[in-house]
Amino acid sequence: MSTVDFARGNDRLGRRRLVNRGMEVIAWLCTGIAVAILGIVVWSVAKRGAGAINLDLFTKPYVPFSLGKVGLADAFVGTIVIVLIATAIALPVGILIAIYLNEFARPVVRGGVSLALDVLNGIPAIVIGIFVFGLVVVGRGQSAFAGSFALSVLMLPLVTRATMEVLALVPSSLREASLGLGVPRWRTTLSIVLPQTIGGVLTGTTLAVARIAGETAPLLFTSSIVSHEVSWDPHHALQTVPVAIFQLSESPDPKDHARAWAAALVLLLFIMFASMTARWLATRSRRKLRRAG
Amino acid sequence: MPKSGLFRTTIALAVAAALAAIVAASAGASPAKKQDTTLTGAGSSLIAPALAVWKPLYGAARGVTVNYSSVGSGAGIKAITARTVDFGASDAPMTADQAAACNGCVQVPWALTATVPVYNIPGVGDTKLKLDGPTLAKIFLGQIKTWDDSAIKKLNPGLSLPSTSITVAHRADGSGDTYVFTDYLSKVSSVWKNEVGSATSVSWPTGVGGTGNSGVAAIVSSTPGSIGYISDAYVIQNHIAKARLKNASGRYTLPSIKSIGEAASLVKTVPADMNVSITNPPKTKNKKQWDAWPLSTFTYIIMPATTARAHDLKNFVTWALTHGQPPIAKYVFAPMPLVMIKAANKALTTVHS
Amino acid sequence: MSTLDLSSETTRRLHGRRVHLGDLLLQGIAGLAALAALVVIGLIVWKVIDGARESLSRFGLGFVTTVAWDPVHNLFGAGSFLYGTALTSLIALLLAGPLAMGIALFLTELAPRWIQAPVTALVETLAAIPSVVVGLWGILVLAPTLRDHVEPFLHRTFGFIPLFGNPQTGHDIFTAVIVLTIMILPIVSSISRELFLGVPSELKEAALGLGTTRWEMVRGVMFPYARGGIAAALILGLGRAVGEAIAVTQVIGGFVGTPVNLFSAGDTLASKIASEYQGAATNLETSALIHLALILLVFSLLVNVFAQVIVRSVARRQGLTGVRR
Repeated sequence: MSTVDFARGNDRLGRRRLVNRGMEVIAWLCTGIAVAILGIVVWSVAKRGAGAINLDLFTKPYVPFSLGKVGLADAFVGTIVIVLIATAIALPVGILIAIYLNEFARPVVRGGVSLALDVLNGIPAIVIGIFVFGLVVVGRGQSAFAGSFALSVLMLPLVTRATMEVLALVPSSLREASLGLGVPRWRTTLSIVLPQTIGGVLTGTTLAVARIAGETAPLLFTSSIVSHEVSWDPHHALQTVPVAIFQLSESPDPKDHARAWAAALVLLLFIMFASMTARWLATRSRRKLRRAG
Repeated sequence: MPKSGLFRTTIALAVAAALAAIVAASAGASPAKKQDTTLTGAGSSLIAPALAVWKPLYGAARGVTVNYSSVGSGAGIKAITARTVDFGASDAPMTADQAAACNGCVQVPWALTATVPVYNIPGVGDTKLKLDGPTLAKIFLGQIKTWDDSAIKKLNPGLSLPSTSITVAHRADGSGDTYVFTDYLSKVSSVWKNEVGSATSVSWPTGVGGTGNSGVAAIVSSTPGSIGYISDAYVIQNHIAKARLKNASGRYTLPSIKSIGEAASLVKTVPADMNVSITNPPKTKNKKQWDAWPLSTFTYIIMPATTARAHDLKNFVTWALTHGQPPIAKYVFAPMPLVMIKAANKALTTVHS
Repeated sequence: MSTLDLSSETTRRLHGRRVHLGDLLLQGIAGLAALAALVVIGLIVWKVIDGARESLSRFGLGFVTTVAWDPVHNLFGAGSFLYGTALTSLIALLLAGPLAMGIALFLTELAPRWIQAPVTALVETLAAIPSVVVGLWGILVLAPTLRDHVEPFLHRTFGFIPLFGNPQTGHDIFTAVIVLTIMILPIVSSISRELFLGVPSELKEAALGLGTTRWEMVRGVMFPYARGGIAAALILGLGRAVGEAIAVTQVIGGFVGTPVNLFSAGDTLASKIASEYQGAATNLETSALIHLALILLVFSLLVNVFAQVIVRSVARRQGLTGVRR
């Protein structure tokens, strides 16, 4: 009797171990698939884009129906302009919101506003595009400003969230010491607390820039009717890298595809560089804050 | 926070709001200056090659830069309606609703060109496939499903057609090509007219959409068994096989300066709204007109009747109608017939600042 | 929170009831910024409802179920796009969900220490790839590959299931599903990973100590513990898939109808807006397109509020601050 039971138990244990083993293999496989997908996408972009990257890409604008040498200089300049303006809008507003929520707001307000920001973050980018079209573009025309405004709406929750996280890390002893010395609250916040968060805010901003630099949908209706001329003037609609990739991807011309791949590679490299910088900044500033605490 | 917190926040908000109002007011006081050496337009991708040719020529001749964005005729009409550009361009004349919405817009014909059916059938070379209107309609209605269908075989004796299934490619965005194409199909097929109709964007019974002429060209060139329609300039650029089409006179023709011109030569009078359809030109015994291409179209520039840029716009269109015509012949733009040029000039006089 | 109250307490003690003008100004300006964020959300809702008004009054609730998009006859409905959206995002979620769980479990339970950080970084890099680049890859590499190899194979093998019909161009629902799967995978997996990391190790060790295998511990302890959070992660992934416009527009083809065949062209709410909004022929069509955007907006608001409430309650229970998107 007992031997039989023992054998059956052993058998069951074996099956349980087998199931366990199987699940482990599946988990390994899942991760393998994800990494493989990343590898395939990045490799595709790198392989096709690297050959098409040349000086013309950055120095010459795109000219439709041209058989000559054309680049995407207009798109690169436009992206720089639009992203810079978007950052200039979202960064101060985002920091101010974070200051308000962290230093002034009551818990209920704080919870409500931060929930609202998360919800804002979840609104599809294409809806933001429609919103900005209706609010700014109708009657006034497309412009880089309109595009920047759309991107700043996407950026705002990211910057606010990042700033709030570092503000929470600033040791309270610092605030108390400053206030205790008779420094008014606003000066304490601006000149004692805020400087501590620069590293973290930079990290958050860099990540947010990396995120919006590749956004297409909000620009489709706000800055897409463009002249393909290299221009730094935000009053006009400017071509951008993501919109250029979007348009070129639907072209039948292999030369246009090559340009799209090259632009995609430059965009990817920028985003990866930005994320790595952000990571580096994050570890640095966290270490600094910890030391201060 | 204690009760006074709310009170304090309210006062604080009021102070800051006053400050913000002052900043906003001073910012609003300095409106953007507009450069007067550029004209900005958007719309039809059919006319885009012409504008690409015109831009450097007109810039050299008159010192005015014409910036054009090929976003599709529907988007062009929408852009000029919202006054987000100096001019719009469309291959489809505005509908009554659109004209009303545009609030005093003038449309002027300024070029003459064509759309053409293109295909990708393994083993069937350029211009080898012959089609007629009813068959084309049935293909786009999804009634003819394979290339070896008897209806197609009947038109192409001696051509070996594969049993590949047909993939229809059409425009996904609002397009003048779609207008020309569906206008033609509505004239040759009553089923098409009743079930689908003609417009810059229609409810397609079957197929796959591509954005812009490029998008459709991309689908056709990459998909064996596909058929689509694109403007002739894009065929030339992308080496896609185009089909011969049987016109009302019973001749299988191809788009060319000559055959498009023949279709346009049938225009005798021009209505005030410039709405002239030259698709499916009527049957004729006149040898000078019997090769007329059935998918020919005028294409239009649309501008506000009252605009600060009236002077620049009129100069540009006048130039385009004269000096501008010969250099675009390489993209299969036929010369505008005299009667249309006269009508265009008359329409231009109604534009003022 | 306690530090804040403490510090304001300190101020009051030192300065009595005196309030600095600078304090007021900073609080006011910062408060205004916070208010502005709320105003923007309000404006978005208002602008979208306002734009959709013509379509709302003309088609009413029937808009949602009408399968038509006919600018010639002025008949518009969201039916086929709701169908396309549901089909693509649900299948994508079905594919991405288990994969993401596998990745999260691997990273928290199985991976050797030296592998964890780099693989986590890699999966997060996948999330950083812009959708237009995924779309570019989708239209030029993935679509032809699927059309020439994968779709014919699936059709031959599982052709008896109506989902796997005749392949056409590769610009189809199936390609859109794969693209969406790739895009939501990193979101779901990174939230799940943080959730699994939050499971108290005493619980896990207790289970293992009772003699369970690792998988039984995962099934019996970790899944139940993180259940709410996983639901939130899946919902957020769904929200992302539903809202994605660009990459889907690039690969889905564009077709009005409710095709069962995954290998035929389709459209989603977001992709229809992206491809037709600029070129809409009439005011009514424009309004109908904004009506589609309104449906998207309402859905995203519901999804996000719901998911965030779950995330917040999970975070509160676990004392985690790190759980977020």
